[in-house]
Amino acid sequence: MIESFKHLEEAARDRDLADVFLESDEQEHAVPADMILEALRKRRGVMRDCVERGKSGGESMGKLVGNEARLLNEAFLSGKTFLDPLTVKAEIYALSVMGENSRMGVIVAAPTAGAGGIVPGMLLALEEERHIDPEKTVRGMVVAGGVGSVIALSANISGAAGGCQNEVGVAAAMGAAGVAYMMGGTPHESIQAAAIALKNTLGLVCDPVGGLVEVPCVKRNALFAVHGLTAAQLALAGVDSIIPMDEIVEAMVRIGRSLPRGLRETAEGGLATTDTGTAIALRLKEEANQRRAERAEERERVALERKSHAT
Amino acid sequence: MPIRHDRKVSILDVMGPVMVGPSSSHTAGTARLGRVAREILDEDPVEVRFFLHPPLAATYRGHGSDFALVGGSIGLNVDDPRIPEAIRIAEQMGVTIEFTEEDLGEVHPNTVRVEIHGPSREVEVVGSSIGGGVIEVFKIDGFQTRFKGDSPTLLLFYRDRPGMIAEVANIIAEEGINIASLYCSRKQRGKDAFMQVDVDSPLSRAALSRIRSLEDVTDARYLDRIP
Repeated sequence: MIESFKHLEEAARDRDLADVFLESDEQEHAVPADMILEALRKRRGVMRDCVERGKSGGESMGKLVGNEARLLNEAFLSGKTFLDPLTVKAEIYALSVMGENSRMGVIVAAPTAGAGGIVPGMLLALEEERHIDPEKTVRGMVVAGGVGSVIALSANISGAAGGCQNEVGVAAAMGAAGVAYMMGGTPHESIQAAAIALKNTLGLVCDPVGGLVEVPCVKRNALFAVHGLTAAQLALAGVDSIIPMDEIVEAMVRIGRSLPRGLRETAEGGLATTDTGTAIALRLKEEANQRRAERAEERERVALERKSHAT
Repeated sequence: MPIRHDRKVSILDVMGPVMVGPSSSHTAGTARLGRVAREILDEDPVEVRFFLHPPLAATYRGHGSDFALVGGSIGLNVDDPRIPEAIRIAEQMGVTIEFTEEDLGEVHPNTVRVEIHGPSREVEVVGSSIGGGVIEVFKIDGFQTRFKGDSPTLLLFYRDRPGMIAEVANIIAEEGINIASLYCSRKQRGKDAFMQVDVDSPLSRAALSRIRSLEDVTDARYLDRIP
């Protein structure tokens, strides 16, 4: 079993990082490498489908988001975006996944649903723009998942446990390692990419408006997909994190524990309790009550109908 | 020293599950908790009551946890696109559904107690959705347990007596199956007891019926990995 990133770097010296993760997972969880790869091939397909569906937009459950991917995609297709295509596509794909997620569409949690746009945004945009073999993307997903599993040895991967750093921060770190791997980086560079990405998300709080995975989650996925690409770029150029990855994860756990409860997915602080956030939460509550009343009325009507049929 | 809990999570757990949105802890995890109750019940339910710990009671509707819990309890997988319709489907099946808030004590914020009734029996399950779709069930029918649903598992209800664990372990060993972990609890010495046996590979029907026919066994359930 890989016990730490330090241990991982030693085990992976002069080896393929994806192979090291596959071997370790096979030993620990008794799932053969070819089964893991086959499952990830399917999940890559789910991610692709999700990205395609998400581009056409639609309304989210809370009606706060849903058309971000469509708008950016339209701007991109009509030549109105100014960033380079890889960056814009990473944003579009991340927004697509999060839009689908907000409509209860089928997605791949990576590592969570609320941060589920980041890894597909980065990996699928890179695959397309740099003409990378999809099989290499699947192995990039092994690296991303492997990095997440080592982080999970020390940290609970949820906003409720440690804020958004534990979800979006971890996703950006996973994606950065995957991208560095897909670009031909060494294991050291993948680990450095993860370290640079995670280090610079520390302290990010989870304060969703109305408690929904909509604001700020959807746009945040787009921004942190680009953050992850930047981290991979630095690492591949030979830039190292001064603080080692294991110590960054440790800092993340400590920061998460010292975050007040109101900033850990409870919707009782931060953006959730701004004037606008409070007003939205109130509206959502009223709508939910109304729906509940309508459902109760409907049930009563059906019961009455059955009764009159019986008599 | 790093703060560690050494929770061993696989690559497929991290890069997954494939699920219906919007939240891995509030939608996928809760669907799996509902599914655990359904699988232990082992028949179509007629009534399911969900008791939500206050933090979950405050946030469940916006995340579709109500659809997910109900969907799981009628046997839907976390990636089933019918989950958003689960409450309607359950009503069509004639299942009575109820949601209530209940303080479940010093537990994870996303914790739920499920009472599920079928035509011939009922089951109570208490568990938490701890993030990324991962669950921890810590009570089944009043017995302490540590069920995660990530491996094939035998759940055994029996009368506490010396030798029971050895007899069960023997039958499993004769099948050539490795026990990954074992957890026992009881309400009182010599009274009702419970055993959870996580195994590395599927248990045969023959082995299960041999275990069922052991003296003092009141009930045995075999669950596959909860998808």
